[in-house]
Amino acid sequence: MTSRTSIHLTINGHDHELEVEPRVTLLDALRDHLGLTGTKKGCDQGQCGACTVHVDGQRVLACLTLAAQAQGRSITTIEGLAEQDGTLHAVQAAFLEQDAFQCGYCTPGQIMSAVACIREGHAGSDDEIREYMAGNLCRCGAYPHIVAAVRQAAMEAAS
Amino acid sequence: MRDFSYLRADTADAARQAGALPGAMLLAGGTTLIDLAKCGVAEPETVVDISHLKGLDGISVDGAGATIGALAKMSHVADHADIKSRFPAVSEALWQAASAQLRNMATIGGNLMQRTRCPYFRDPANFPACNKRSPGSGCSAIGGVTRGHAVLGTSEACIATYPGDLTVALVAFDATVHLGERQLAVDDFFLLPGATPEREHAIEPGEMITAISIPASAAARRSTYLKVRDRQSYEFAAASAAVGIEFEADGRTIRDLRVALGGVATKPWRARAVEEALKGKLLEPDAVRRASLLAVEGAVDHGANHYKIELAPRVVARAILKIGETA
Amino acid sequence: MTVHELRTRPADSKRGDASDGGALAGQVGGRLSRVDGPAKITGAAKYAVEQQLDGLSHAVLVESTIAAGRVRSIDTAAAQAAPGVLKVLTPDNALRLNTATDWLGTPPPDVPYCPLARDITFSGQHVAAVVAESFEQAVAAAALVKVSYDEAPVIADLSDAKAGDGIPVDAMTKEWGDAEAAFAAAPVRICAAYNTPREYQAPMEPHGLIAQWQGDQLTVWEPSQWLDGMARTYAEWFGVPFENVRLVSPYIGGGFGSKAFAYGYGAVAAMAAKMLGRPVKLAVTRPQTFTAYGGRAATRQTVALGANAEGQIQSIVHRGVNETSVDGMWVEPLGSVTSIMYATPNFSSRQNVVRVNSVVPGALRAPGENPSAFGIECAIDELAYEVGIDPLEIRLRNYAEQDPEAKKPWSTRQLREAFAAGAEAFGWSKRSPEPRSMRDGNQLIGWGVAAGTYPVRRAYGEAVVRILADGSVEVESSSIDMGQGTYTILAQTAAETLGVPADNVVVKLGDSRYARAGVTGGSRLAGVMTGAVHKAATAALDQLVGLAISDPRSPFHALQPNTLVVTEGRISSPRGDGPDVPIAELLGSVGRDRIEAKGDTMPANSTPEERYKNYTTIAMALPHTEGDYSRHSWCAHFIEVRVDEDFGTVRVSRVVSALDSGRLYNPKLAESQWKGGIIMGIGQALLEEGIVDRRHGRIVNNNLADYLIATNADIPDIEVISVGIPDPHSSALGGKGVGELGIVGVAPAIANAVFHATGMRVRDLPITLEKLI
Ligand SMILES: Cc1cc2nc3c(=O)[nH]c(=O)nc-3n(C[C@H](O)[C@H](O)[C@H](O)COP(=O)(O)OP(=O)(O)OC[C@H]3O[C@@H](n4cnc5c(N)ncnc54)[C@H](O)[C@@H]3O)c2cc1C
Ligand code: SF4
Ligand code: FES
Ligand code: FES
Repeated sequence: MTSRTSIHLTINGHDHELEVEPRVTLLDALRDHLGLTGTKKGCDQGQCGACTVHVDGQRVLACLTLAAQAQGRSITTIEGLAEQDGTLHAVQAAFLEQDAFQCGYCTPGQIMSAVACIREGHAGSDDEIREYMAGNLCRCGAYPHIVAAVRQAAMEAAS
Repeated sequence: MRDFSYLRADTADAARQAGALPGAMLLAGGTTLIDLAKCGVAEPETVVDISHLKGLDGISVDGAGATIGALAKMSHVADHADIKSRFPAVSEALWQAASAQLRNMATIGGNLMQRTRCPYFRDPANFPACNKRSPGSGCSAIGGVTRGHAVLGTSEACIATYPGDLTVALVAFDATVHLGERQLAVDDFFLLPGATPEREHAIEPGEMITAISIPASAAARRSTYLKVRDRQSYEFAAASAAVGIEFEADGRTIRDLRVALGGVATKPWRARAVEEALKGKLLEPDAVRRASLLAVEGAVDHGANHYKIELAPRVVARAILKIGETA
Repeated sequence: MTVHELRTRPADSKRGDASDGGALAGQVGGRLSRVDGPAKITGAAKYAVEQQLDGLSHAVLVESTIAAGRVRSIDTAAAQAAPGVLKVLTPDNALRLNTATDWLGTPPPDVPYCPLARDITFSGQHVAAVVAESFEQAVAAAALVKVSYDEAPVIADLSDAKAGDGIPVDAMTKEWGDAEAAFAAAPVRICAAYNTPREYQAPMEPHGLIAQWQGDQLTVWEPSQWLDGMARTYAEWFGVPFENVRLVSPYIGGGFGSKAFAYGYGAVAAMAAKMLGRPVKLAVTRPQTFTAYGGRAATRQTVALGANAEGQIQSIVHRGVNETSVDGMWVEPLGSVTSIMYATPNFSSRQNVVRVNSVVPGALRAPGENPSAFGIECAIDELAYEVGIDPLEIRLRNYAEQDPEAKKPWSTRQLREAFAAGAEAFGWSKRSPEPRSMRDGNQLIGWGVAAGTYPVRRAYGEAVVRILADGSVEVESSSIDMGQGTYTILAQTAAETLGVPADNVVVKLGDSRYARAGVTGGSRLAGVMTGAVHKAATAALDQLVGLAISDPRSPFHALQPNTLVVTEGRISSPRGDGPDVPIAELLGSVGRDRIEAKGDTMPANSTPEERYKNYTTIAMALPHTEGDYSRHSWCAHFIEVRVDEDFGTVRVSRVVSALDSGRLYNPKLAESQWKGGIIMGIGQALLEEGIVDRRHGRIVNNNLADYLIATNADIPDIEVISVGIPDPHSSALGGKGVGELGIVGVAPAIANAVFHATGMRVRDLPITLEKLI
């Protein structure tokens, strides 16, 4: 027997209805069921941060969140970060300018994490940025440039 | 992950009732439960989602102490101004745990219930023998890779380390777990493996953690959590210590001392012998180092984890000296 | 499928660094931002397994839970009956495939190939697979497949008593002079063993693929460092012509050596797709990535250095061992740096491989050079202390003025410059020589230096350059960009060669239907492909100018010029007289909708067979010592560590590296790659280790919480300095390798710094806390 539930998700301001098994994670719902593949799967075990999205404005891991659990909350993914007209979010622009990525696979997670990190007030110093961005692994080793990008975006946000 | 049905609880009572059904498990942040379901360790038939329950996520701090709702997020507790000022060790234990994302998901109740990171426990397909998972099946870890395993509180049945950070601070400051009406000292909430490593917590089916409370104390106010690990962040402790200190009016003689260890024992480990040895004494580095050795009295290693016996007392000593020396 | 057809953004106004004479961003040598950046930072970049196909089914692997023995039986009943299951694949119902040619081009034995094993030689081997309608169903059903085994004794790792001394690899033997005798006679002798554990590539994008058959045409969406090589493997497995297989890999979420080959799970997915007549997606799980293909082999080396009292090396005796699998061969060339870094009159290096029950090891960033440098660069540090000379000074005293092994001059070797620039920026002269003489509270501070090198691997490449009616330019190649910046540097190359703005160039990569390319590995791609694009673009430009001069309809026709120039997308005469028209206008006036040129760097008389071989094997690669020169990139790392004296924890607090990669095509991106290598080296030095349960022959830390790679918090600011000069012997545009160089020498620099901090010499990586308390 495979049970299915119908769930309602609000993603990037849009409403989506989907029929999924209760065991489907938010990550798989986004990637496999809704075609929102900007959110990446690096480990599926909460160990890398590639799947970082915002739920009610807080950065969380989509791979350890059930899709059903996210019903009734507001979800933001990398696809919903830039403005409607395509203007990049300050963090996105800073990532490009600082070359804060190489392969780009950890990048959506890094960016979602960085946006929240700044909003939380955890981007006060380079060391604080390093610690509060440590939940996003980057095997290409873009870390120093990620720190520079977060610092830059945080300064822009403050001014 | 095997298929399960999903039930969202509207009230705490409904959650307790649903949670009492066979095969049902409560879901809070999901960072332990969903992870273990993917590993094939947790096989819930019904997942009872309590994460939308109202009123269980409060944090209140007054002269008597702090009360933290079971659904409060680790991140919120860590960043709470009064927790930071009156229970710094609690805040530090929290922000040094897991990652920012996980702390935004994980709840205090779920945190108390997190399971060991023993690699054999987490891989049932490859290691059927695990007394914690299937009582009586044996222990795959003993004789295997034991670098992360416990040196304190172990038994012949299980040597798995209790991995969490927060509870180390909680046990140091005599926190209480609220299971609705029933209350238990945190130290009593966690059970030693003995012959029944499958039973980790003194919680009964149908019970739910509703809150924890931590009594205010001068030692809690002057406290710290020191976590040592291979990687600078996003890793469990190799050894850690929650330490709080209160001096006599002279500012040098130790009136109250709290010491608990993490990363080295099968449960959050209160090191009362260290506390007793130093109470009434002056804070003096050599004495502190000597007394800290008592933290690992009776420790037993399994080869690769021997370093923990060396490391833990040094962590304790450093933490005591650090907190004792900073005004 | 248009997402990977990217336009460059308006060229950054920033100028290049001094090392490149201040090239404009859009030109070769300029600091153009990644042209694939916008797609990556908005989530628009679709990686291989993210294609959304109708009727997609999901495959999940079942892996062996023993490391040696035989599958007795597989009970698939429960899995078959599970909801959504379409197929359970086992060796019994698997399609018969052919064995494929290996990457060296060795013709395969005429035996069938089955990616699902009956004979088990390592834990985690694929034994079955379940295909279901949904991913969740496939995962659940895979757990229901019951495999029973007859177990055999396991040889777990190099230290297993049953492993023995292994098999000598004669091709690795390098000898000159009389090394043993010279060592015995040397006034100063040191000899020590250096070990590196199993290490894993762990790219953030796990491996996997989507396979779809249409008739006998196979399309595979798979992250790939080598489209043509992998397409060949699939074609041979399934007995279809090479042209019938299309590999698509628009973006690759990191490879580090691990994504150059089609592996068994690829065969499983393609087989399932064929049997079901439906597209199949197979995503290798993170734990499976530790056994579905090989990481770096564990290695052991002994390095004996004999020297005189001034620290001049008289003899090097080197012995190495690496592990390989029971039925596969992997040689990690451990003498590769040992034999070229320092001048020595006497040298001997030999190597064995030892078979253990593991997956066949593979390439991980700088295979060979990486562990090799760990041995020799620690050993020379030990020698420096032994004779009481500064570790930097001893390296200069033994500086190899030519390749000691090949006895040829270096094409370029800016290593002395690297030592000087790095030392200066780091402040090396302020170092207090005694170990354990620098501290900050509980932190012991140590400064270490080590050098690194990587050979310039060369091959031939091919590219198509098109000038379109609107004056824009398209570049096509089946090479790939996994973060090294191929999209960007090829846009710069085409832009500069053609004289058009870089934002008018669209680069298309990652599709085996495009012009051919060989493997992206060994840091060779940039040199190969910039050469090919330069050639194709030059040919296109010649055509364009030719048309402008000779076509009667051209506005330049009346002028009868000898030549014309193209700048900023406009054509004019070099003297500035006459018309000045945009490319689009010219094409319009001569009635052409495009100009297309294919360029390749193969020798002109190459046969089609040679071309095929060049792109689908590495058999045609040119040795780095071919001709008159020995070609290598070089670097020097200066690293500061802080070691907690009580806890033994090591943290890297400062890194200055000076690197010679020749000319940099885009310094901004090259710096990122260098830093990435250095960061991986920090992880290698301090954290990374595949831990084997020796009873079961199984890696127990097969996940990213237990196989620790560096986090952001582990990494300080890193200063990289380019000391390279254009090297005409290494590539058409003067560049040498970038991607692998950065990691080589980092681990020994850290080990040397740890010794300086603590007085303790750790010769086993990683340097974890228990080794220091
Ligand atoms: C990669 C990773 C790294 C981590 N690193 C650290 C670390 O460094 N330090 C650390 O301390 N922790 C760490 N953790 C563990 C993390 O803190 C716990 O997973 C988390 O606290 C669990 O809380 P949760 O709300 O997500 O629990 P859930 O997963 O929702 O629940 C866990 C268990 O508790 C039960 N439960 C939940 N709420 C209640 C309740 N109110 N009453 C009774 N039972 C309940 C559930 O049924 C379940 O069995 C890490 C986790 C991961 C995945
Ligand atoms: S140590 Fe405990 S949890 Fe680990 S395998 Fe043994 S019994 Fe299981
Ligand atoms: S995919 Fe979610 S943390 Fe790695
Ligand atoms: S950019 Fe490749 S993993 Fe971060």
